[in-house]
Amino acid sequence: MDLPKTPLSNSALLNRIKQFYWFHSIPLRPGITTYGAKTEEILAQEEQAIMSGIDFQGRTVLDVGAWNGYFSFSAKRHGAARVLATDSFTWTEPKFRGQEAFELARAELGLDIESLLIDPTKITPELGSFDIVMFLGVLYHLFDPIDVLQRVRAVTGQLLLVETHQDLADRTQPGMVFYPGAILNNDPTNWWGPNPALMLHLLQALGFARILYRHYPHPPGTPLNRGIYACLTPEADPAIIAGLGPEWRELDAPGVIPTLAAEVRR
Amino acid sequence: MSGVASFRWLQSLRLGPDLVTPGVQNEAELARMEEALFGPINLAGADVIEVGAWNGAFSLAAKRRGAARVLATDHLAWTLPGSDAKAATEFAAQASGLAIETRVMDPRGFGKYFGQFHVVVATEFFTQLFNPIAALKGLRAITSRLLLIETIQDGMEESRPVMMAHNLPTAYGATVAGWAPNPEAVKHMLQELGFDRIFHRDHPTAGRGRGLYAALLRDTPDEALTGFVAPWRSLTHPG
Repeated sequence: MDLPKTPLSNSALLNRIKQFYWFHSIPLRPGITTYGAKTEEILAQEEQAIMSGIDFQGRTVLDVGAWNGYFSFSAKRHGAARVLATDSFTWTEPKFRGQEAFELARAELGLDIESLLIDPTKITPELGSFDIVMFLGVLYHLFDPIDVLQRVRAVTGQLLLVETHQDLADRTQPGMVFYPGAILNNDPTNWWGPNPALMLHLLQALGFARILYRHYPHPPGTPLNRGIYACLTPEADPAIIAGLGPEWRELDAPGVIPTLAAEVRR
Repeated sequence: MSGVASFRWLQSLRLGPDLVTPGVQNEAELARMEEALFGPINLAGADVIEVGAWNGAFSLAAKRRGAARVLATDHLAWTLPGSDAKAATEFAAQASGLAIETRVMDPRGFGKYFGQFHVVVATEFFTQLFNPIAALKGLRAITSRLLLIETIQDGMEESRPVMMAHNLPTAYGATVAGWAPNPEAVKHMLQELGFDRIFHRDHPTAGRGRGLYAALLRDTPDEALTGFVAPWRSLTHPG
Protein backbone atom coordinates (compact mmCIF):
# COMPACT_ATOMS: atom_id res chain seq x y z
CA MET A 1 0.00 0.00 0.00
CA ASP A 2 1.43 3.38 -0.97
CA LEU A 3 1.64 5.82 1.88
CA PRO A 4 0.96 9.51 1.44
CA LYS A 5 4.11 11.47 0.67
CA THR A 6 3.18 14.56 2.65
CA PRO A 7 2.57 14.53 6.40
CA LEU A 8 -0.99 13.85 7.38
CA SER A 9 -2.90 16.45 9.31
CA ASN A 10 -3.84 15.39 12.82
CA SER A 11 -7.43 14.82 11.76
CA ALA A 12 -6.37 12.83 8.70
CA LEU A 13 -4.05 10.73 10.86
CA LEU A 14 -6.86 10.05 13.31
CA ASN A 15 -9.09 9.00 10.44
CA ARG A 16 -6.40 6.63 9.16
CA ILE A 17 -5.91 5.18 12.63
CA LYS A 18 -9.63 4.51 12.87
CA GLN A 19 -9.51 2.40 9.72
CA PHE A 20 -7.64 -0.37 11.50
CA TYR A 21 -8.01 -2.70 14.46
CA TRP A 22 -5.09 -1.95 16.78
CA PHE A 23 -3.60 -4.39 19.26
CA HIS A 24 -0.85 -2.05 20.43
CA SER A 25 -1.48 1.42 21.81
CA ILE A 26 1.33 3.37 20.20
CA PRO A 27 1.79 7.11 20.75
CA LEU A 28 2.34 8.56 17.28
CA ARG A 29 2.15 12.28 18.01
CA PRO A 30 1.51 14.34 21.10
CA GLY A 31 -2.10 13.62 21.95
CA ILE A 32 -2.52 10.96 19.27
CA THR A 33 -2.19 7.30 20.28
CA THR A 34 -3.49 4.26 18.42
CA TYR A 35 -6.52 2.64 20.02
CA GLY A 36 -4.89 -0.63 20.99
CA ALA A 37 -6.52 -3.49 22.84
CA LYS A 38 -3.39 -3.43 24.99
CA THR A 39 -3.15 -0.15 26.82
CA GLU A 40 -0.06 2.04 26.89
CA GLU A 41 0.32 1.20 30.58
CA ILE A 42 0.30 -2.56 30.02
CA LEU A 43 2.68 -2.27 27.08
CA ALA A 44 5.05 -0.13 29.11
CA GLN A 45 5.05 -2.78 31.85
CA GLU A 46 5.69 -5.53 29.29
CA GLU A 47 8.44 -3.50 27.63
CA GLN A 48 10.08 -2.96 31.00
CA ALA A 49 9.83 -6.64 31.90
CA ILE A 50 11.01 -8.01 28.57
CA MET A 51 13.53 -5.48 27.33
CA SER A 52 14.96 -3.71 30.35
CA GLY A 53 18.45 -4.97 31.06
CA ILE A 54 18.98 -6.29 27.55
CA ASP A 55 21.74 -4.59 25.60
CA PHE A 56 20.20 -3.77 22.21
CA GLN A 57 22.93 -1.27 21.29
CA GLY A 58 24.20 -2.01 17.79
CA ARG A 59 22.50 -5.42 17.68
CA THR A 60 20.49 -6.96 14.88
CA VAL A 61 16.96 -7.82 15.96
CA LEU A 62 14.23 -10.04 14.52
CA ASP A 63 10.68 -9.56 15.80
CA VAL A 64 8.59 -12.68 15.10
CA GLY A 65 4.91 -11.78 15.32
CA ALA A 66 5.35 -8.03 15.38
CA TRP A 67 1.64 -7.18 14.82
CA ASN A 68 1.47 -3.36 15.11
CA GLY A 69 5.21 -3.17 15.80
CA TYR A 70 5.38 -1.87 19.37
CA PHE A 71 8.34 -4.05 20.34
CA SER A 72 10.11 -3.57 16.99
CA PHE A 73 9.90 0.18 17.50
CA SER A 74 11.09 -0.23 21.06
CA ALA A 75 14.11 -2.31 19.98
CA LYS A 76 15.11 0.42 17.55
CA ARG A 77 14.72 3.07 20.24
CA HIS A 78 16.89 0.92 22.51
CA GLY A 79 19.70 1.29 19.99
CA ALA A 80 19.37 -1.73 17.70
CA ALA A 81 21.33 -1.30 14.49
CA ARG A 82 18.89 -3.29 12.41
CA VAL A 83 15.33 -4.40 13.17
CA LEU A 84 13.30 -6.76 11.00
CA ALA A 85 9.61 -6.88 11.91
CA THR A 86 7.78 -9.96 10.68
CA ASP A 87 4.25 -11.27 10.91
CA SER A 88 1.73 -13.15 8.84
CA PHE A 89 -1.60 -13.93 10.52
CA THR A 90 -2.32 -10.50 12.00
CA TRP A 91 -0.87 -8.76 8.95
CA THR A 92 -3.09 -10.59 6.49
CA GLU A 93 -6.25 -11.24 8.51
CA PRO A 94 -8.87 -8.86 7.03
CA LYS A 95 -10.27 -8.12 10.49
CA PHE A 96 -6.90 -6.83 11.70
CA ARG A 97 -5.15 -5.41 8.58
CA GLY A 98 -2.08 -5.48 10.79
CA GLN A 99 0.50 -4.83 8.10
CA GLU A 100 -1.18 -1.62 6.99
CA ALA A 101 -1.47 -0.53 10.62
CA PHE A 102 2.20 -1.36 11.21
CA GLU A 103 3.22 0.59 8.13
CA LEU A 104 1.19 3.60 9.19
CA ALA A 105 2.85 3.60 12.62
CA ARG A 106 6.32 3.04 11.17
CA ALA A 107 5.92 5.89 8.69
CA GLU A 108 4.54 8.20 11.34
CA LEU A 109 7.35 7.40 13.80
CA GLY A 110 9.98 7.68 11.08
CA LEU A 111 11.90 4.67 12.36
CA ASP A 112 14.24 2.78 10.05
CA ILE A 113 12.72 -0.67 10.44
CA GLU A 114 12.50 -3.39 7.85
CA SER A 115 9.43 -5.56 7.47
CA LEU A 116 8.77 -8.95 5.96
CA LEU A 117 5.52 -10.82 5.57
CA ILE A 118 6.45 -14.33 6.67
CA ASP A 119 4.68 -16.91 8.77
CA PRO A 120 6.81 -18.26 11.65
CA THR A 121 6.23 -21.79 10.33
CA LYS A 122 8.15 -20.74 7.20
CA ILE A 123 11.21 -19.23 8.90
CA THR A 124 14.45 -20.87 7.78
CA PRO A 125 18.15 -20.02 8.21
CA GLU A 126 17.96 -18.25 4.84
CA LEU A 127 16.34 -15.39 6.74
CA GLY A 128 19.75 -14.77 8.33
CA SER A 129 21.07 -14.83 11.87
CA PHE A 130 20.05 -12.12 14.33
CA ASP A 131 21.74 -11.17 17.60
CA ILE A 132 18.36 -10.93 19.31
CA VAL A 133 15.15 -12.68 18.31
CA MET A 134 11.92 -11.56 19.97
CA PHE A 135 9.24 -14.25 20.01
CA LEU A 136 6.57 -12.55 22.05
CA GLY A 137 3.02 -13.77 22.43
CA VAL A 138 3.34 -16.25 19.56
CA LEU A 139 4.34 -19.69 20.88
CA TYR A 140 0.94 -20.67 22.25
CA HIS A 141 -0.79 -19.67 19.00
CA LEU A 142 1.01 -22.43 17.12
CA PHE A 143 -0.41 -25.90 16.49
CA ASP A 144 3.19 -27.11 16.30
CA PRO A 145 5.16 -24.88 18.68
CA ILE A 146 8.09 -27.31 18.76
CA ASP A 147 8.71 -26.91 15.05
CA VAL A 148 8.67 -23.13 15.27
CA LEU A 149 10.93 -23.10 18.34
CA GLN A 150 13.42 -25.06 16.25
CA ARG A 151 13.03 -22.51 13.48
CA VAL A 152 13.57 -19.45 15.66
CA ARG A 153 16.54 -21.19 17.29
CA ALA A 154 18.08 -21.55 13.84
CA VAL A 155 18.02 -17.77 13.29
CA THR A 156 19.10 -16.78 16.83
CA GLY A 157 22.69 -15.65 17.02
CA GLN A 158 22.84 -14.75 20.70
CA LEU A 159 19.60 -14.20 22.55
CA LEU A 160 16.06 -15.49 22.12
CA LEU A 161 13.38 -13.68 24.09
CA VAL A 162 10.19 -15.70 24.51
CA GLU A 163 7.00 -14.42 26.11
CA THR A 164 4.15 -16.90 26.34
CA HIS A 165 0.96 -18.02 27.95
CA GLN A 166 1.68 -21.02 30.15
CA ASP A 167 -0.18 -23.72 32.00
CA LEU A 168 0.59 -26.59 34.40
CA ALA A 169 3.06 -24.13 35.90
CA ASP A 170 2.26 -25.50 39.34
CA ARG A 171 3.92 -28.76 38.31
CA THR A 172 7.61 -29.61 38.16
CA GLN A 173 7.18 -32.31 35.51
CA PRO A 174 7.59 -30.87 32.00
CA GLY A 175 4.36 -30.79 30.07
CA MET A 176 1.88 -28.74 28.11
CA VAL A 177 -1.88 -28.45 27.79
CA PHE A 178 -3.64 -28.62 24.42
CA TYR A 179 -6.53 -26.24 23.79
CA PRO A 180 -8.83 -27.57 21.07
CA GLY A 181 -11.38 -25.27 19.51
CA ALA A 182 -11.68 -21.97 21.35
CA ILE A 183 -11.29 -23.35 24.88
CA LEU A 184 -8.62 -20.86 25.91
CA ASN A 185 -10.02 -17.33 26.11
CA ASN A 186 -12.60 -18.11 23.43
CA ASP A 187 -9.80 -17.78 20.87
CA PRO A 188 -9.47 -20.57 18.27
CA THR A 189 -5.89 -19.49 17.55
CA ASN A 190 -4.71 -20.63 20.99
CA TRP A 191 -3.26 -24.15 20.91
CA TRP A 192 -0.79 -24.99 23.68
CA GLY A 193 0.14 -23.92 27.21
CA PRO A 194 3.62 -25.17 28.23
CA ASN A 195 5.00 -25.00 31.76
CA PRO A 196 8.44 -23.60 32.70
CA ALA A 197 9.84 -27.10 33.23
CA LEU A 198 8.91 -27.97 29.66
CA MET A 199 10.32 -24.74 28.27
CA LEU A 200 13.61 -25.54 30.02
CA HIS A 201 13.56 -29.07 28.57
CA LEU A 202 12.84 -27.86 25.02
CA LEU A 203 15.18 -24.88 25.04
CA GLN A 204 18.07 -26.94 26.40
CA ALA A 205 17.42 -29.61 23.78
CA LEU A 206 17.60 -26.90 21.14
CA GLY A 207 21.06 -25.96 22.27
CA PHE A 208 20.58 -22.88 24.39
CA ALA A 209 23.35 -22.70 26.98
CA ARG A 210 21.60 -20.52 29.57
CA ILE A 211 17.89 -20.02 30.10
CA LEU A 212 16.68 -17.29 32.41
CA TYR A 213 13.09 -16.86 33.44
CA ARG A 214 10.95 -14.22 35.03
CA HIS A 215 7.25 -14.01 35.61
CA TYR A 216 5.21 -11.78 33.34
CA PRO A 217 4.35 -8.54 35.19
CA HIS A 218 0.97 -9.80 36.32
CA PRO A 219 -1.17 -7.39 38.32
CA PRO A 220 -1.28 -8.45 41.98
CA GLY A 221 -3.82 -11.15 42.68
CA THR A 222 -4.07 -12.41 39.10
CA PRO A 223 -2.98 -15.92 38.01
CA LEU A 224 0.66 -16.36 37.04
CA ASN A 225 -0.25 -17.69 33.61
CA ARG A 226 2.42 -16.04 31.50
CA GLY A 227 6.21 -16.20 31.58
CA ILE A 228 9.22 -14.58 29.95
CA TYR A 229 12.37 -16.45 28.92
CA ALA A 230 15.79 -15.10 27.95
CA CYS A 231 17.72 -17.86 26.20
CA LEU A 232 21.41 -17.50 25.39
CA THR A 233 23.20 -19.42 22.69
CA PRO A 234 26.65 -20.84 23.53
CA GLU A 235 28.16 -18.05 21.38
CA ALA A 236 26.33 -15.20 23.13
CA ASP A 237 28.16 -12.15 24.43
CA PRO A 238 27.42 -12.25 28.19
CA ALA A 239 27.13 -8.45 28.14
CA ILE A 240 23.90 -8.77 26.20
CA ILE A 241 22.04 -9.66 29.41
CA ALA A 242 24.36 -8.02 31.93
CA GLY A 243 21.66 -5.58 32.96
CA LEU A 244 19.00 -8.11 33.90
CA GLY A 245 17.61 -7.63 37.39
CA PRO A 246 17.17 -10.11 40.25
CA GLU A 247 13.66 -11.02 39.09
CA TRP A 248 15.32 -13.10 36.40
CA ARG A 249 16.30 -16.60 37.55
CA GLU A 250 18.54 -19.22 35.98
CA LEU A 251 15.92 -21.82 35.16
CA ASP A 252 18.21 -24.86 35.52
CA ALA A 253 19.60 -23.80 38.90
CA PRO A 254 18.79 -26.29 41.69
CA GLY A 255 15.40 -25.65 43.21
CA VAL A 256 14.22 -23.00 40.75
CA ILE A 257 11.55 -25.08 38.98
CA PRO A 258 10.04 -26.30 42.30
CA THR A 259 10.13 -22.73 43.62
CA LEU A 260 8.30 -21.41 40.56
CA ALA A 261 5.72 -24.18 40.87
CA ALA A 262 5.17 -23.28 44.51
CA GLU A 263 4.79 -19.59 43.63
CA VAL A 264 2.11 -20.47 41.07
CA ARG A 265 0.29 -22.71 43.55
CA ARG A 266 0.17 -19.82 46.00
CA MET B 1 19.47 -70.99 11.70
CA SER B 2 22.94 -69.64 12.32
CA GLY B 3 22.14 -66.22 10.82
CA VAL B 4 19.93 -65.33 13.77
CA ALA B 5 22.91 -65.14 16.09
CA SER B 6 24.63 -62.57 13.92
CA PHE B 7 22.10 -59.88 14.80
CA ARG B 8 21.08 -58.07 17.98
CA TRP B 9 17.32 -58.50 18.24
CA LEU B 10 14.85 -56.02 19.65
CA GLN B 11 11.85 -58.26 19.05
CA SER B 12 11.39 -62.01 19.49
CA LEU B 13 10.18 -63.21 16.10
CA ARG B 14 9.20 -66.79 15.35
CA LEU B 15 11.03 -67.73 12.19
CA GLY B 16 10.32 -71.45 12.36
CA PRO B 17 8.82 -74.15 14.61
CA ASP B 18 11.89 -74.19 16.84
CA LEU B 19 13.44 -70.87 15.99
CA VAL B 20 12.65 -67.61 17.77
CA THR B 21 14.93 -64.58 17.64
CA PRO B 22 16.21 -63.63 21.12
CA GLY B 23 14.62 -60.19 21.34
CA VAL B 24 14.21 -57.74 24.21
CA GLN B 25 10.44 -57.89 23.65
CA ASN B 26 9.28 -61.48 24.18
CA GLU B 27 7.12 -63.46 21.79
CA ALA B 28 4.09 -63.70 24.07
CA GLU B 29 3.95 -59.92 24.67
CA LEU B 30 4.27 -59.25 20.96
CA ALA B 31 1.50 -61.74 20.19
CA ARG B 32 -0.85 -59.98 22.59
CA MET B 33 0.04 -56.62 21.08
CA GLU B 34 -0.51 -57.97 17.58
CA GLU B 35 -3.95 -59.24 18.51
CA ALA B 36 -4.82 -55.98 20.27
CA LEU B 37 -3.81 -53.94 17.22
CA PHE B 38 -4.95 -56.12 14.35
CA GLY B 39 -7.69 -58.24 15.94
CA PRO B 40 -10.45 -55.66 15.28
CA ILE B 41 -9.65 -55.16 11.59
CA ASN B 42 -9.51 -57.10 8.33
CA LEU B 43 -6.15 -56.64 6.68
CA ALA B 44 -6.87 -58.82 3.65
CA GLY B 45 -5.75 -56.96 0.55
CA ALA B 46 -4.79 -53.82 2.47
CA ASP B 47 -1.76 -51.62 1.90
CA VAL B 48 -0.01 -51.30 5.26
CA ILE B 49 2.90 -49.20 6.45
CA GLU B 50 4.60 -49.65 9.79
CA VAL B 51 6.31 -46.58 11.24
CA GLY B 52 8.96 -47.41 13.82
CA ALA B 53 9.15 -51.06 12.85
CA TRP B 54 12.19 -52.10 14.96
CA ASN B 55 12.54 -55.71 13.72
CA GLY B 56 9.24 -55.62 11.85
CA ALA B 57 7.10 -57.80 14.13
CA PHE B 58 3.88 -56.04 13.17
CA SER B 59 4.85 -55.70 9.52
CA LEU B 60 5.39 -59.44 9.32
CA ALA B 61 2.14 -60.00 11.21
CA ALA B 62 0.24 -57.74 8.79
CA LYS B 63 1.60 -59.74 5.86
CA ARG B 64 0.62 -63.01 7.54
CA ARG B 65 -2.87 -61.59 8.03
CA GLY B 66 -3.29 -61.03 4.31
CA ALA B 67 -2.08 -57.50 3.61
CA ALA B 68 -1.36 -56.98 -0.07
CA ARG B 69 1.59 -54.67 0.47
CA VAL B 70 3.56 -54.02 3.64
CA LEU B 71 6.24 -51.37 3.98
CA ALA B 72 8.29 -51.47 7.20
CA THR B 73 9.99 -48.19 8.06
CA ASP B 74 12.08 -46.92 10.93
CA HIS B 75 14.42 -44.06 11.56
CA LEU B 76 16.15 -43.91 14.91
CA ALA B 77 16.44 -47.66 15.55
CA TRP B 78 17.71 -48.25 12.02
CA THR B 79 20.18 -45.38 11.81
CA LEU B 80 21.91 -45.22 15.18
CA PRO B 81 25.63 -45.90 14.79
CA GLY B 82 26.23 -49.66 14.79
CA SER B 83 22.55 -50.52 14.47
CA ASP B 84 21.82 -53.70 12.56
CA ALA B 85 18.07 -53.59 13.20
CA LYS B 86 17.15 -52.97 9.55
CA ALA B 87 19.33 -55.84 8.33
CA ALA B 88 17.84 -58.05 11.05
CA THR B 89 14.33 -57.11 9.86
CA GLU B 90 15.19 -58.00 6.30
CA PHE B 91 16.75 -61.27 7.47
CA ALA B 92 13.57 -62.11 9.42
CA ALA B 93 11.37 -61.34 6.42
CA GLN B 94 13.44 -63.57 4.17
CA ALA B 95 13.59 -66.38 6.71
CA SER B 96 9.82 -66.17 7.20
CA GLY B 97 9.13 -66.13 3.49
CA LEU B 98 7.06 -62.97 3.91
CA ALA B 99 7.57 -60.35 1.22
CA ILE B 100 7.72 -56.99 2.96
CA GLU B 101 9.49 -53.85 1.82
CA THR B 102 11.83 -51.87 4.09
CA ARG B 103 12.84 -48.23 4.03
CA VAL B 104 14.59 -45.83 6.42
CA MET B 105 12.11 -43.02 6.91
CA ASP B 106 11.65 -40.25 9.49
CA PRO B 107 7.89 -39.84 10.05
CA ARG B 108 8.32 -36.06 10.02
CA GLY B 109 9.25 -36.41 6.37
CA PHE B 110 6.06 -38.11 5.23
CA GLY B 111 3.92 -36.15 2.81
CA LYS B 112 1.21 -37.04 0.34
CA TYR B 113 3.88 -37.43 -2.34
CA PHE B 114 4.91 -40.58 -0.45
CA GLY B 115 1.61 -42.25 -1.27
CA GLN B 116 -1.16 -43.37 1.03
CA PHE B 117 -1.81 -46.60 2.87
CA HIS B 118 -5.09 -48.08 4.04
CA VAL B 119 -3.56 -48.85 7.42
CA VAL B 120 -0.73 -47.00 9.15
CA VAL B 121 0.76 -48.63 12.27
CA ALA B 122 3.04 -46.70 14.63
CA THR B 123 4.15 -48.28 17.89
CA GLU B 124 6.26 -46.58 20.59
CA PHE B 125 5.13 -43.47 18.77
CA PHE B 126 5.29 -40.44 21.07
CA THR B 127 7.92 -42.11 23.22
CA GLN B 128 10.91 -41.39 21.04
CA LEU B 129 10.00 -38.21 19.18
CA PHE B 130 11.23 -34.73 20.02
CA ASN B 131 8.43 -33.35 17.85
CA PRO B 132 5.49 -35.75 17.78
CA ILE B 133 3.17 -33.08 16.34
CA ALA B 134 5.16 -32.91 13.11
CA ALA B 135 5.28 -36.70 13.03
CA LEU B 136 1.51 -36.95 13.55
CA LYS B 137 1.03 -34.63 10.58
CA GLY B 138 3.24 -36.97 8.60
CA LEU B 139 1.18 -40.00 9.61
CA ARG B 140 -2.03 -38.21 8.65
CA ALA B 141 -0.62 -37.40 5.22
CA ILE B 142 -0.06 -41.07 4.39
CA THR B 143 -3.25 -42.51 5.94
CA SER B 144 -6.19 -43.24 3.66
CA ARG B 145 -8.37 -45.07 6.22
CA LEU B 146 -6.99 -46.17 9.58
CA LEU B 147 -4.16 -45.05 11.82
CA LEU B 148 -3.09 -47.33 14.68
CA ILE B 149 -0.88 -45.81 17.39
CA GLU B 150 0.70 -47.36 20.45
CA THR B 151 2.37 -45.09 22.97
CA ILE B 152 3.36 -44.48 26.54
CA GLN B 153 0.75 -42.38 28.39
CA ASP B 154 0.95 -39.80 31.16
CA GLY B 155 -1.15 -37.04 32.62
CA MET B 156 -3.93 -39.56 33.18
CA GLU B 157 -5.11 -37.67 36.26
CA GLU B 158 -5.81 -34.59 34.11
CA SER B 159 -9.24 -34.21 32.51
CA ARG B 160 -7.76 -31.73 30.05
CA PRO B 161 -5.64 -32.76 27.05
CA VAL B 162 -2.01 -32.79 28.19
CA MET B 163 1.26 -34.10 26.89
CA MET B 164 4.18 -34.63 29.27
CA ALA B 165 7.83 -34.69 28.21
CA HIS B 166 10.25 -37.45 29.14
CA ASN B 167 13.83 -38.48 28.69
CA LEU B 168 13.66 -42.24 28.40
CA PRO B 169 16.20 -44.99 27.82
CA THR B 170 15.46 -47.14 24.79
CA ALA B 171 15.88 -50.84 24.20
CA TYR B 172 18.79 -50.15 21.86
CA GLY B 173 20.81 -48.28 24.45
CA ALA B 174 20.20 -44.60 23.66
CA THR B 175 18.32 -42.14 25.83
CA VAL B 176 15.94 -40.05 23.78
CA ALA B 177 13.63 -37.12 24.48
CA GLY B 178 10.04 -38.05 23.90
CA TRP B 179 6.49 -37.44 25.01
CA ALA B 180 3.67 -39.15 26.83
CA PRO B 181 0.19 -37.77 26.06
CA ASN B 182 -3.08 -38.57 27.77
CA PRO B 183 -6.02 -39.92 25.74
CA GLU B 184 -7.71 -36.51 25.58
CA ALA B 185 -4.61 -34.99 23.98
CA VAL B 186 -4.32 -37.76 21.40
CA LYS B 187 -8.02 -37.51 20.62
CA HIS B 188 -8.00 -33.77 20.06
CA MET B 189 -4.77 -33.70 18.08
CA LEU B 190 -6.06 -36.44 15.80
CA GLN B 191 -9.39 -34.67 15.40
CA GLU B 192 -7.63 -31.45 14.44
CA LEU B 193 -5.74 -33.45 11.81
CA GLY B 194 -9.01 -34.67 10.30
CA PHE B 195 -9.66 -38.04 11.91
CA ASP B 196 -13.33 -38.62 12.59
CA ARG B 197 -13.72 -41.65 14.85
CA ILE B 198 -11.08 -42.37 17.46
CA PHE B 199 -10.96 -45.45 19.69
CA HIS B 200 -8.72 -46.08 22.69
CA ARG B 201 -7.79 -49.02 24.86
CA ASP B 202 -5.18 -49.70 27.47
CA HIS B 203 -2.12 -51.66 26.46
CA PRO B 204 -2.74 -55.43 26.62
CA THR B 205 0.25 -56.11 28.86
CA ALA B 206 1.42 -52.74 30.25
CA GLY B 207 -1.99 -51.52 31.41
CA ARG B 208 -2.75 -47.83 31.79
CA GLY B 209 0.87 -46.79 31.44
CA ARG B 210 0.57 -47.31 27.73
CA GLY B 211 -2.34 -46.98 25.32
CA LEU B 212 -3.52 -48.01 21.87
CA TYR B 213 -5.42 -45.68 19.56
CA ALA B 214 -7.32 -46.41 16.36
CA ALA B 215 -8.22 -43.33 14.31
CA LEU B 216 -10.43 -43.59 11.27
CA LEU B 217 -10.99 -41.07 8.53
CA ARG B 218 -14.50 -39.97 7.69
CA ASP B 219 -14.86 -41.98 4.48
CA THR B 220 -13.85 -45.26 6.09
CA PRO B 221 -16.63 -47.85 5.57
CA ASP B 222 -18.76 -48.49 8.67
CA GLU B 223 -17.93 -52.20 8.62
CA ALA B 224 -14.36 -51.26 9.55
CA LEU B 225 -15.68 -50.06 12.91
CA THR B 226 -17.39 -53.22 14.02
CA GLY B 227 -14.30 -54.86 15.48
CA PHE B 228 -13.60 -52.05 17.91
CA VAL B 229 -15.44 -53.54 20.87
CA ALA B 230 -14.42 -53.62 24.55
CA PRO B 231 -11.78 -53.10 25.80
CA TRP B 232 -11.71 -50.56 22.99
CA ARG B 233 -13.85 -47.52 23.71
CA SER B 234 -14.78 -44.65 21.44
CA LEU B 235 -13.27 -41.32 22.50
CA THR B 236 -15.26 -39.40 19.93
CA HIS B 237 -18.62 -41.17 19.90
CA PRO B 238 -19.11 -42.54 23.42
CA GLY B 239 -22.17 -44.73 23.91
